[in-house]
Amino acid sequence: MTISIEYLAQVFNSTIRCMTPILLVTLCASVCSKVKVFNIALEGTLLTSAFFAYLTQYFTHNIVLSVAVAMLIAMLMTFIMSFFIVQLKGQPMIVGMALNTFALGFTTFLLSMIFGTKGTISDPSVKGLPKINLPVIRDIPVVSTMFSTLTIIDYAAFALAVVLFIIMYKTVVGFRLRAIGINESAASSLGINVKRYQIIATTLSGSMIGLAGCLLSLGSVTLFIQNISSARGYVALAANNLANAHPLGALLSSALFGFTKALAQVLQNTAIKQQLLECIPYIATIAAMAIYNGIAKRRAKAIKN
Amino acid sequence: MNENRNWKKSLGAIADAFAQPLVAVVISLFLGAVVIVICGENVFTAYGAMIRGAFGNSFYINDTLKRATPIIMGGLAVCIAWRSGYEAMGGEGQMILGAFCAALVAYYLPLPGILRILLAMLVAVVVGALYSALTGWLYEKFDVTFIISTLMLNYIANYFASYMTNFVVKDPESLDINAVQTGKIAAEARIPAIFSGSVHWGFVYALIAVVLVYFLFKKTSFGYKSRMNGLNSRFALYGGINARRMLYVVLILSGAMAGLGGAFEALGSKYRYIDQMIFTTGFAWSGMVAALLANFNPIGTAVASILLAGLSTGGSAMQRSTIIPVEVCNMIEGIITLLMSVRLLRIAQKNHRVRKTAKEG
Amino acid sequence: MIFEMKNIVKMYDSVCANDDVSLHLNRGEILAIVGENGAGKSTIMKILYGLVKPTSGEIFVNGKKVHFRTPSDAMAAGIGMVQQHFMLFESMTVAENIVFKNEIHKGPFMDMNKTIETVQALSDKYQLKIDPRAKIADCPVGLRQRVEILKILYQNAEIIIFDEPSAVLTPLEVDALLETMKQLAAAGKSIVIITHKLQEVMAVSDRVYVMRQGKVVAERMTCDTDQEELAFLMVGRQIVNRHIDPIEATTTLLEAKGLKYYEDGREVLKGIDIHVNAGEIVGIAGVSGNGQSELISCITGLLPVTGGQVLIQGKDVTNKSVREIRDAGLAHISEDRYVWGSAPEGTLEENTLMCRQDEEPFSKKGLVNHRKIREYARSLIQDFAVKASSPTQKMRELSGGNAQKLIVAREMSLNTPVLICCEPTRGIDIGAMEAIHDRMVKRRGEGAGILLVSSELTEIMSLSDRIYVIYEGRINGEFKRDSMDDKRLGLLMLGGSIDNE
Repeated sequence: MTISIEYLAQVFNSTIRCMTPILLVTLCASVCSKVKVFNIALEGTLLTSAFFAYLTQYFTHNIVLSVAVAMLIAMLMTFIMSFFIVQLKGQPMIVGMALNTFALGFTTFLLSMIFGTKGTISDPSVKGLPKINLPVIRDIPVVSTMFSTLTIIDYAAFALAVVLFIIMYKTVVGFRLRAIGINESAASSLGINVKRYQIIATTLSGSMIGLAGCLLSLGSVTLFIQNISSARGYVALAANNLANAHPLGALLSSALFGFTKALAQVLQNTAIKQQLLECIPYIATIAAMAIYNGIAKRRAKAIKN
Repeated sequence: MNENRNWKKSLGAIADAFAQPLVAVVISLFLGAVVIVICGENVFTAYGAMIRGAFGNSFYINDTLKRATPIIMGGLAVCIAWRSGYEAMGGEGQMILGAFCAALVAYYLPLPGILRILLAMLVAVVVGALYSALTGWLYEKFDVTFIISTLMLNYIANYFASYMTNFVVKDPESLDINAVQTGKIAAEARIPAIFSGSVHWGFVYALIAVVLVYFLFKKTSFGYKSRMNGLNSRFALYGGINARRMLYVVLILSGAMAGLGGAFEALGSKYRYIDQMIFTTGFAWSGMVAALLANFNPIGTAVASILLAGLSTGGSAMQRSTIIPVEVCNMIEGIITLLMSVRLLRIAQKNHRVRKTAKEG
Repeated sequence: MIFEMKNIVKMYDSVCANDDVSLHLNRGEILAIVGENGAGKSTIMKILYGLVKPTSGEIFVNGKKVHFRTPSDAMAAGIGMVQQHFMLFESMTVAENIVFKNEIHKGPFMDMNKTIETVQALSDKYQLKIDPRAKIADCPVGLRQRVEILKILYQNAEIIIFDEPSAVLTPLEVDALLETMKQLAAAGKSIVIITHKLQEVMAVSDRVYVMRQGKVVAERMTCDTDQEELAFLMVGRQIVNRHIDPIEATTTLLEAKGLKYYEDGREVLKGIDIHVNAGEIVGIAGVSGNGQSELISCITGLLPVTGGQVLIQGKDVTNKSVREIRDAGLAHISEDRYVWGSAPEGTLEENTLMCRQDEEPFSKKGLVNHRKIREYARSLIQDFAVKASSPTQKMRELSGGNAQKLIVAREMSLNTPVLICCEPTRGIDIGAMEAIHDRMVKRRGEGAGILLVSSELTEIMSLSDRIYVIYEGRINGEFKRDSMDDKRLGLLMLGGSIDNE
């Protein structure tokens, strides 16, 4: 295996494609944690929206409609999550696990009822998201590899991180959301309907998981596999933790996890077996959390003078 | 008179404890019925098939109890950890490693049968406990939350066992090239059936574990300390309870239960480790649902585990006789859990009201 | 008359918090409502502010009948409230806190420059000095209260309610606050102050209502009354001043030498030297947040000590486990009864068992004896006159005062030579407070050494044999019982020194 510039460009490209779904979910997680709604239903939401993106595309061949349906489904799931946590004061951990269990059962159930299989569904007639070929870039050798086969949602993910940063830190709405997260009772003592803000903000941010779902089933590959989300929702939770719920920090942390996933893919042709490679992102998640928190802990102990 | 009122109060508490799970189950079954109707099947046929398939005759009952065994153990693992305030969800990974290691010990070690069984169970206990303690170490030293460490370690355990089964300890005698599994355990090293054709002794052991855990909770000072730790960890710390020891003891006990559950499944039911056998069956998750339904009471957890196992075996039967896939049961399980999550709502509301009155009254 | 309440009744389940209360407020007036804890004065103001709905009765603002469902309704009617616990966003700036909900914006975006200008102008207008750009987290308590007041002024409130405003302030800050109130009244605002501190009432108010057991028992013009009469009306009987015989203190039971503690790279305790002798109550006075909590946590083993030593009965227990420190002879009534001092969801017997779970006869070889545990809980409940229905009741079902009594009972029954009492009477009624003080004095008489931390200066002054003043993690002065005076104490609490005087 020789390492050429072209090869590195491929790794870069694959990192981007691995990171964007995680980035989008992380952005949703960051909004949720800014308004103090502990959302671990990310995983189930991602899975369900990936399924509905594929399902809609399979039947309608209308990509815009498919993306819209995926976003709506994700918003619906996120709404249920935040309604149970915020309005009904359900225990967040249990609510999230319940929705994840339900999502896995539900998608497999539909997979089996509609497609008659419980494994993989892949139909050549189903077209994925259109790939963007940027006019100038496609002619530059290495750079074209770096940015090949990316979809509009991949680019949108990066833009969304910036937009979300502006919303959260520069606008009145973002200001209020952050304030709610800092001190709920202070906000409600001034007559802000905290619950409404929380539910609406989380529900809207859920749409980004819908976009991530489209990337999974209609992005680099066009297929749906049972449990296709494979813990990306939980990885996003860790990524959000590393990013301190900051949208721009999410860019960095999800890039880190994207890279470990890409690494697993790149090493596939080596002697290391697939099953061990699959472990890399999960081990990296734990390691990243441990290192980050370890450093933070040590820094807290050190004396600034 | 005071005692009489206490007695009435506790009766009320018992009714309270049953009301919520009952309502949750009924609503979920109703929603399940709606799904069945949408699929174009008759609700009574489908649910009838489900109940027959779960508890209809001794064969089905034994099948249900067999399935219930690892669920009970997974449930106990959750009871121990969550009651003590650690919301760990690593039962799945611990169970996988327990099942895998037990299967290897029982297959490879040249020892007399009974010793092999005991050793296999012991190894499963140790492996489960260590894997669980690892999450405690990550939590204590690096503040890695349980949700992240346990879920990630579940995936890692599954892939690791899958790798080993695929490439290192694959059954050499297997005729089916696609069967990814370890070698079949010899008859003398299996956990035997209680009587011919019945559920294996693992089920009885699981019930014994239930009683032991119940005893541990109610009658020992450790039970008191862990409960205080779960109710208010700061209070426990302030009262001189060693938080670090509590963390590890609880997680080790919890992991041991899950690991042993895996061993029961491998030694008593499948007689080997088959790739993905714990991951796809969702024993650990069902155990968690059972523990939640029972509010972490070990005996209630056992009852709920048997019912959930019945839901699953019944669901498979329903799948055979109707077009409804068994996953409907996962959906029902999910909805039950979701509805159970709101239980704490009432406690919280009551709590709030009482505090308020106390403060202002 | 700017507002009026007529025949207000408020029931909580079967408890009557307000019983037929009628009162009114005139424009430009400073009105005081006084009463003990639990007399119902907070409830009446919460009703006025829309936080609580009355069971019956009517409210009029400017002669118009109003129904407040939420605080926003009250705010819209021109009523603002400075709460006892500040409602601020810690990690945001002063300006951001003041404009919250009525933000100054350009389209959807925050206009920070104009926000800061406006806030500065407001601060100049009412002569309430603040730095609009400062983070709340960096502001001392007095400034935070100023931010709260500005927040209300920013919303154009005509009526301003202060709920126990001086509870968290130093004497000098209190003076400044009273001055502010007078200015505001002079500027045409109407002010209601809820308090149990009679000096402040006399210093600032025009008129007083006295409440007791949910009722208004008296109305006086301030100029026609005095502290003695108000105190008598409040309590319904004469208050006896506690007399404590001096004890010759010799043996040192608890000692901290050069105690240091760092947190987030900040030096919270900068070398503290204190000692407590047998038969002595030692008070620690200070504005909250100057290291008191950390000092106690370091002594009791809840926080790791960074430098220095803690000795209990001569035994070095620095950085030992809580268990070892308690076994060396220490009991600890913690500052927050529901956060540290108890498990609200646990039963009373579970709460009284804490620390003794491994002792005979409560457990033998790890097995607990439920009968003995229940008997013990019963005896504590009886000895300390805790109002409870049964030992299997949940802790959270007790009222604050009774919960505190139970915790005091538990810690005192450990009969340790050293007893640490943090805010032992915060937020509880006078009856329970006196009972707890009696117990402390009794333990002192038995030869225990007691370390008392309290934000109520009067509590410290009336009980302590000796007082340390803590300021920014340092001991800034020490008084003996006979040389105490609250002006000098106040100065030291603010970081001044007596020699410079």
